[in-house]
Amino acid sequence: MKTENLKVFGMTCAACAKAAERAVGKLDGVEKVNVNFATEKMNVAFDASKLSMEEIKAAVAKAGYEAKEEIETKEVAIPVAGMTCAACAKAVERAVGKLGGVESVAVNFATEKAVIKYNPKDVRLSEIKQAIIKAGYTPLEIENKNRVDEDKERKEKEIKTLWLKFVVSAIFSIPLLYIAMGPMVPWLGWKLPAWLEPMNFPLLYALVELVLVIPVMIAGNKFFTVGFKAIARRSPNMDSLIAMGTSAAFLYSLYSIYRINIGDFMYVDDLYFETAGVIITLILLGKYLEAVSKGRTSEAIKKLMGLAPKTAIVIQDDKEIEIPIEEVEVGDIILVKPGAKIPVDGEVVEGHTTIDESMLTGESIPVDKKVGDKVIGASINKHGSIKFKATKVGSDTALAQIIKLVEDAQGSKAPIAQMADIVSAYFVPTVFVIATLSALAWYLSGESTVFSLTIFIAVLVIACPCALGLATPTAIMVGTGKGAEYGVLIKGGEALETTHKIRTIVFDKTGTITEGRPEVTDIVTTGIIERDKLLQIAASAEKGSEHPLGEAIVRGAEKENLEMLKLGKFLAIPGHGIQVEIDGQLILLGNRKLMVERNIELTQLENDSDRLASEGKTPMYMAIGNQLAGIIAVADVVKESSAKAIKRLHEMGIEVAMITGDNKRTAEAIAKQVGIDRVLAEVLPQDKANEVKKLQGEGKKVAMVGDGINDAPALAQADIGIAIGSGTDVAMESADIVLMRSDLMDVPTAIQLSKSTIRNIKQNLFWAFAYNVAGIPLAAGLFYAFGGPKLNPIFAAAAMSLSSVSVLTNALRLKGFKPYK
Amino acid sequence: MKAKKMILLATTLSAALVFSACQATDVVGKIAVTSFEQVLNTASDNVTFDEEKNSWSLESPAGDEFKWSKDFSATEVDGILEFDAAPFINAGLDVTKLPEGYVYDQASDRLSLNFEIGQEKFDYNGDATALDTFKNIVEKKREIVGYHEALDHYGMAVGNGNMFEWAKDMSTNDKDIVFVVNPQPFIDAGVDPEKVEGWAFAKVEVKDKDGKMVEVDKFLKPFDLK
Repeated sequence: MKTENLKVFGMTCAACAKAAERAVGKLDGVEKVNVNFATEKMNVAFDASKLSMEEIKAAVAKAGYEAKEEIETKEVAIPVAGMTCAACAKAVERAVGKLGGVESVAVNFATEKAVIKYNPKDVRLSEIKQAIIKAGYTPLEIENKNRVDEDKERKEKEIKTLWLKFVVSAIFSIPLLYIAMGPMVPWLGWKLPAWLEPMNFPLLYALVELVLVIPVMIAGNKFFTVGFKAIARRSPNMDSLIAMGTSAAFLYSLYSIYRINIGDFMYVDDLYFETAGVIITLILLGKYLEAVSKGRTSEAIKKLMGLAPKTAIVIQDDKEIEIPIEEVEVGDIILVKPGAKIPVDGEVVEGHTTIDESMLTGESIPVDKKVGDKVIGASINKHGSIKFKATKVGSDTALAQIIKLVEDAQGSKAPIAQMADIVSAYFVPTVFVIATLSALAWYLSGESTVFSLTIFIAVLVIACPCALGLATPTAIMVGTGKGAEYGVLIKGGEALETTHKIRTIVFDKTGTITEGRPEVTDIVTTGIIERDKLLQIAASAEKGSEHPLGEAIVRGAEKENLEMLKLGKFLAIPGHGIQVEIDGQLILLGNRKLMVERNIELTQLENDSDRLASEGKTPMYMAIGNQLAGIIAVADVVKESSAKAIKRLHEMGIEVAMITGDNKRTAEAIAKQVGIDRVLAEVLPQDKANEVKKLQGEGKKVAMVGDGINDAPALAQADIGIAIGSGTDVAMESADIVLMRSDLMDVPTAIQLSKSTIRNIKQNLFWAFAYNVAGIPLAAGLFYAFGGPKLNPIFAAAAMSLSSVSVLTNALRLKGFKPYK
Repeated sequence: MKAKKMILLATTLSAALVFSACQATDVVGKIAVTSFEQVLNTASDNVTFDEEKNSWSLESPAGDEFKWSKDFSATEVDGILEFDAAPFINAGLDVTKLPEGYVYDQASDRLSLNFEIGQEKFDYNGDATALDTFKNIVEKKREIVGYHEALDHYGMAVGNGNMFEWAKDMSTNDKDIVFVVNPQPFIDAGVDPEKVEGWAFAKVEVKDKDGKMVEVDKFLKPFDLK
């Protein structure tokens, strides 16, 4: 099964998205298809042996839209030196154009620039440059134009066009409204010149209105082309409603002109050009505001994309060369000066510094980096100069992965969206039926044609499914984007929705609740040796050990700046400990078993040993010359934020469980420390998923938080898998939510964000439905029948535009989300 | 580019309208002429030319007259409404209190309301007819000819709220012609408007100077010519 993302062009409302989805869904071999109106993206899972991408694109085209594969095409403008005539430019064009992956190349001899569009997956920039060199010319420093800019340009162009169309419509609609409303509403006191008096010069009056409405109809031509085409395809959309409503008003007004022309002056009262004009103007304004707001919903991703620096300083032959980031290769040694951004992912090879990774992890405290530490592209080098070796470039960097994750999530649909989708799909045809029936009913009840027509237009115009289609995706876009800002990467709409239903959270112990790195917690001596000396000897004995407990003792001594002693004979006793000679003395360091076997008397420290074990710590005995010298207790310490996070989860009414392979005593000690409700101890890695299943069997929505490979099955089994960012790739793959930091406070943040987003979606859906539920009966004249008000089509258009804008504005409120501190 | 085209198209259409406008689009004027012609034809026996006043006269079956000047530039009085004074005198009219232009002729016991409408010169090809004069009025003094939506009538305003109206389509209207008189000067001269016999005292919707529809009192005297 293959999954591909396509960009779908030409959709104007949720009904269009549904139509495209239906068209592709019908194809044999398509397992799942999902079209997101807000992001204009189609995600399709299909059997590549049965179906090709071309066939999918053709199905979308048949539905009236255009689908294009999401190729991350890049455009560069390479200044080329050495060209002396137009033929040289042609030669460069030929040389570059021959390369596979180059979409287009245009060399301008006058500006000495080669503008090349290429697919970086197929051809590298260095290959393009090489081709120019081979052709006999010199490529100079590149002016880069990336996908962010292109996308931004496209959106800006769309917004600009909509604004222009709105302005043109408004310029003509305002006088049109003035002329039309003046005689209709005398108390407004709007004066008309004598030659435009509707009762004296009705035809001229009507023609002036016609002239004024034509530019407005042209500005709104897209509603007609798209709307009527959709009707012809029997999948009417929002544009169809607008096209039908305004066309009805326009055509009836043309008929009125004809009647005026043959002497029926009364038809001057039946002109509805201003209705058509003002409706189009208001909807254009609504579309403009919608485009502006939609742009703002994807600001998070733009912010992420904008994080990457444009250039990197690479050390080549001991020289510092600044090159575009696209040209950085794995293995390059990169110099980063204080204050500069880390260009790609890598490993520090020289120098030490502190790096601000907050833009990626949300962690506000800069992290110390020394030789061997990993650095992440787009983070900011604070103090020292460092050199690092590039390990991941381009789409492999952590930033690129995050962007992809967020993009995929923003393009995904939450189950709650399905309801809106179903409603949208049946909405437009239903509205047509309601509009026709209401108009017919009024006409048959004895009302005039004009009255029935206004009812027909008002129903068509107010019943816009646009707000319905925007309600869910916009909130998800803002919600997931906001999560990314705080280092909480939510992989999809479904995850976002399910998260707020979580009733039980299972935390893996090691590395999740605890640091996952044992530390020396207690040192007890018998009196024959001082505390520091005991630690110094133990650390010297364990120096070079790969055992986690041994490493913990060495780190403990290093922390206290204790020097290591010279070792004599060394003997590792598997499952027991070690035996070494220091300064001629025999040292034993290990568990109780080792001491018992060597007949070391332990009575003196028996109580301490029991106490430490009950606290979940591992006591390690040390004997010097067959005499017990002391105990060094080692334990995996809990993270600073664990207790606070669990407290917060309790406040949210969530039960917290801990799962571990440790013995019950140790597990319970940790659980007590952080306030865990339920302990699942001595669970083998392969059984973790089963334990989660058991909890789910209790009818609860269960989330699992873990970091290791062994947590992956449990993460997958849980309703929501939450992987700690510092964990393994496998864990992150299996999870629904990835926390960029190791801070457990991000778990309640994720739930809080999910709750806020779902609440926002519900509000949006409420408003979208409320507009239609209240608007349609009002427009249909239901209230009028009982002596209430009737809706003027112009106000219907205003209300309809407002519905989309209010839904988007509400979604944007999520941008103010702040996690619980 | 598209926007430029849009503006260009709009400008062209606007310009086209300006050039083709006015006369050709004046359907009210055009139909006013044809409907007035219908009235003249129906009442042809009662259409005469008053040499003294250089005006055409249309007489109602009751003897009321509407006179319109053959050439506004050649007459001081361009529009005249003439009718029996008795109903007004019986209703309390003190003829000495009538304003200028309102003339009582004791000999004939008739009232004549005289108005100067304009100074326009009317052109004729050959002998002038009553209809030719009316065509000149529509062409040169279009603003005094209007359409009265409520009664489906055309009207010619002679001055001071006084009008002569006729049906747009006589075949569907029982009020073929109507004398419309502003009652205020008569009320000011002592007339009790409710007591004027033969005239209906009624509210009529008209546009005020600001173009707003207002209801005003009028004396109305309609006739069916058929």
